[in-house]
Amino acid sequence: MKHILRSLAVAGATLVAAVGSSLSAAELNLFAWSEYVPQAVLDKFTEETGIKVNYETYDSNEEMLSKLVGGAEYDLVQPSEYVIEVMVKRGMLAPIDFAAVPNFKNLDKAYLNLPHDPEQKFSIPYMVGSVGIVVNTEKVKEPVKGYADLFSGKHAGRIVTLDDNRELLTWAFYFTGQDLNTINKDTMAKARPVLAKWLPQIKIFDSASPKTALLNGEVDLGIVWSGEAAILFQEDKKFQYVLPTEGAHLFIDSLAMPKDAPHKKEAHAFLNFILRPDISVLISADFPYTNPNVEARKLLTPEQLENPASYPAAEDAKRLHTFRDIGRAAAEIDKMITDLRGGS
Amino acid sequence: MAGTIVATDTPAAGGRKPPGRAGWLLLAPLLAWLACFVVAPTAILFAYSFCQRDELGFVVWEFSWENYARIADPVYLKIFGRSLWYAGLTTVLCLLIGYPVAYYIARAPASRRPTLLMLLMIPFWISFLLRTYAWISLLKADGLVSATLEMLHLIPEPLEILYKPAAVLIGLVYTYLPFMILPIYTSAEKIENSLIEASMNLGAGPWRTLAHVILPLTKPGIFAGVLLVFVPSIGMFAVNDLMGGGKVDMIGNVIQNQFGQARDWPFGAALGITFLALFVISFWFLHDRGEVKRT
Amino acid sequence: MALVNALFGTWSALVMVFFYAPIVFLVVFSFNDSKLNVVWEKFTLRWYAELWNSTPLVNGLKASLIVASITTVLAIILGTGAAWLLHRYRFRAARPISTMAYLPMVVPEVIMGISLLVFFKSIDVSLGFPTVVIAHTTFCFPFVMAAVQARLAGLDPALEEAALDLGATPFEAFWHVIVPYLMPAIVSGALMAFALSLDELIVTFFVKSAGSQTLPVVIFGMAKKGINPMVNALSTLFILFTVLLLLLSEWVKKARA
Repeated sequence: MKHILRSLAVAGATLVAAVGSSLSAAELNLFAWSEYVPQAVLDKFTEETGIKVNYETYDSNEEMLSKLVGGAEYDLVQPSEYVIEVMVKRGMLAPIDFAAVPNFKNLDKAYLNLPHDPEQKFSIPYMVGSVGIVVNTEKVKEPVKGYADLFSGKHAGRIVTLDDNRELLTWAFYFTGQDLNTINKDTMAKARPVLAKWLPQIKIFDSASPKTALLNGEVDLGIVWSGEAAILFQEDKKFQYVLPTEGAHLFIDSLAMPKDAPHKKEAHAFLNFILRPDISVLISADFPYTNPNVEARKLLTPEQLENPASYPAAEDAKRLHTFRDIGRAAAEIDKMITDLRGGS
Repeated sequence: MAGTIVATDTPAAGGRKPPGRAGWLLLAPLLAWLACFVVAPTAILFAYSFCQRDELGFVVWEFSWENYARIADPVYLKIFGRSLWYAGLTTVLCLLIGYPVAYYIARAPASRRPTLLMLLMIPFWISFLLRTYAWISLLKADGLVSATLEMLHLIPEPLEILYKPAAVLIGLVYTYLPFMILPIYTSAEKIENSLIEASMNLGAGPWRTLAHVILPLTKPGIFAGVLLVFVPSIGMFAVNDLMGGGKVDMIGNVIQNQFGQARDWPFGAALGITFLALFVISFWFLHDRGEVKRT
Repeated sequence: MALVNALFGTWSALVMVFFYAPIVFLVVFSFNDSKLNVVWEKFTLRWYAELWNSTPLVNGLKASLIVASITTVLAIILGTGAAWLLHRYRFRAARPISTMAYLPMVVPEVIMGISLLVFFKSIDVSLGFPTVVIAHTTFCFPFVMAAVQARLAGLDPALEEAALDLGATPFEAFWHVIVPYLMPAIVSGALMAFALSLDELIVTFFVKSAGSQTLPVVIFGMAKKGINPMVNALSTLFILFTVLLLLLSEWVKKARA
C-alpha cells in the first residue's frame, strides 16, 4: 500500500516539478502571520530579485509550530519571542548569516539580545508590540491606569479581553507583583483568587478581533494587542491606549529560518530586503505596531508617530517585559483557566 | 452483456448475502481509503494519547496512562457533560424546527424540489465567519432582531442574549439545521402519495396520519439527521467561541487548546480518543437496536 | 392534509427567513462605506471595484470552488458506493467498516489535520491541492453515506432482482435502477458535502500549501486587520451568481415543459 502510494506521489511530484521548473527557478517559502506581510512588499521583492514568494499564513504561533513539527518545509517563519526560545532550544532554527543582512544595523538595539535569543543568532525582529488597556473615553469618565482600575468591579460586563490563557494569567501576576516568567504552583495559587474575581467581569474573550466589540459599542474597555488599539485610535480618538501601571507584555514578532530551509540564500535576501527603510515603512503603514527599524521610523508621518498605541512614551515602555518559554506550566495554566471559566 | 461481472455475484432471493470476489473488489477502494485516511490517522492519534509532553511541549514516546487519568478530573468531566447537553439540545431543536421543512419540501411538486433544496443550502456556501459576525450584529442589544421584537411588542426591553448560552444555541441550530433537514427529506421524499391518501380515506385525520404513517416511515432519515447533527456539534468550538464570547467552553475548545497554547498533544489526543470511543460505543448500541428491529 | 401542508409551508418560510437573515445583513453591508465593517456609514460601491484587485480573495474563492467541486464528486462516489455495498452484502466486517467510515465526523478537526499532515509526510507526499481534496473528501463522504443509507433503509430487494431477471448485469441494474432511486439522497449528500468543503478551515490549514489557500483560510486571516466589506461584496456576487443560475435552470425547465 505504502509502496504504491509513494510511487504515485513520486510520479505526481515529478510532474509538478517539471511544470514548476519551467516557470521560475528561485523561490521563497514564507510562512507568516495572516496579512502581516503586505502584498505590495512581496510584489516589490519579486520585481527586484526575481524570486517568487509563496506566502502561506497562520493565525497562532502554535499552529505554525504544529505544521513544522508535522514535517512541512519553509524558508522563513515568523515566531513570537517565547516561541523562538522553544525553537532554539529544540534545535529547529538555523543561525542567520548576518554578513548577508547588512541592513540589520537599522534595528533598534533595545529589541536585540533579549533573553529568548541572547546572542541574537537566530532571529530578526519584524514588528514589536504590547498588550495594554483600551478605554472608550466617551463612556468611561474615571481614569483607568491599570488592571486594578479595570477590574475594580465598576466596569463588570463592559470588558473585552484577549482569549489567551497565558495573557490572562500574566495580568494577574503583574497585579500580585510577581515575575511574569516564574510560573509554578505557588505563584499560580496567588494569582488564582484574583482571576476568580476578574474573569466573571469580562463580557467577551476574543483574540482574533477584539476591536469589533469596542467599535460597535458592545463593551467600553478592553485588554488588546497594541496594533488593534492603534487601529481603534486611527478610527476614533476616543479610544485611548493605556500601558498598565503594574506592567505589560512586550511581544517581539521576528523572522527566523528553520534548520532545513530549502532556500537559505533567498531567505537572507528577503531578510535584508524588508529591513530596508523604504520597505519597512510599507509594513508600518499597513500594521500600526511599533516598528523596531530606527531608520524606517524616520520616514513615518507625524500622525503615525503620535499614535500612542504604536509608539508609547519612553517612560511607559520601561514597564514592558517579554515572555519566556514556561515549559510544562503551559498545561497547568490551561487547566486552571479552563476551571475558572467553567464556572460560568 | 450478462456475465461481464463474475457469476458468483448474482444475489439470491432475499437480497443480502456475503460479498463474493467481485464484491470485495468493489469494496477495495473504500477500504483502501479508510485504511489510509481514517485508520492511519486514528492510529497515530491513539499512539500519541499514551505519550508524554516534554519540557518544551513536544511529544516524547514514553508509555503512560496519565493522560487518561487526567480526563477523569472534574474540570474536564463537567465540560464533557456540558458539551453533551448542548449537543443534545441542538439536536432536539433542529429536529423540531427542521422536520416540517423537510416534509414540506418532500411533498412539494417534484420539479420544484431541487430549487427549494438549493435555496436552503445557498446560505451555507458563505463563509462561516461572515455568517457568524452577521449574527453577532443582528443579535446585539441594539441590533435588528431586538428592535424588531420590541416593535412587535414581543419583548419589553432590549434583548440581552449575545455572548450568553442562548446565543450559542442559536448559532449551533443555525449551523446544523440543514444537516437535519436533508436526510429527513431524503426519506420523506419516497413516501407514496397514495399511502397518505389511503390513510386519510380510512378516516385518520391529518395529525394521526402524520404521527402513525409518515413519522415511522421517515425514521431512517431522522436517525441519519440525529447522527449528522449530534455528533459534529459535540466537538464544535468556533460557534461557542464567537457567539458565546469565549465563555461557554466545550470539549472542542479544550481539545483545540491542547494543540494550541497548552501544547499538550498527548492530552489532546487522549481527549480525542475518549471522544471517539464514546461515539463508537453509542453508535454500535443504536446500530444493534436498529438491526433487531429490521429483522 | 391541506391544513398540515399550509402550516408546514408557513413554517418553512419562517425557517428560510432565519436562514437568510445574516445573508441579507451581509449583502447590505457590502455597500457600506466603512473599512471596519461594523457600523453603517453610507452607501458605496467601492468594495466591488476594489475586489477586482484583490488577488488573495479571488484566488481563495477559485481554490475553494475547485476543491469543493472535486470533493463533492469524490464524496458522492465513495459515499454512495459505501452505502450501497454495505446495504447489499451481509458480512461480519460490515459494522466495523461503517463505524470507521463515520469516524471522520467525530475526529476533532485539529486532530484530523495534524494526523493527516504527519501521514502525508511519512509517505512523502507534498502538500497542495491533492492533499486538501483528500482531506475534504474524507470528512465529507460520511454525510453522503448517511443520507444514502437513510434512503436505502427498507428498499425492496425485488427492485434489483426484477432488473436482473430482465437480463441486466448487476452494474446495469445498479446504474439504471438503484441510482435513480437514490438520486434525492445523492443530491442531499452532495449539497452537504459541497457546503462543508467550501467552509472548512482547520483541517485545510494543516494540509494546504501556499498555492492552495482556500477562501475560509484567507477570510479568517483577515479578522486581525478587520474583515473589510470586500469579503461581503465577494459573497454577494457569489450568491447573486448562484441564484441567477438557479432561476435560469428553472426557466429552462419551464420552457421545455
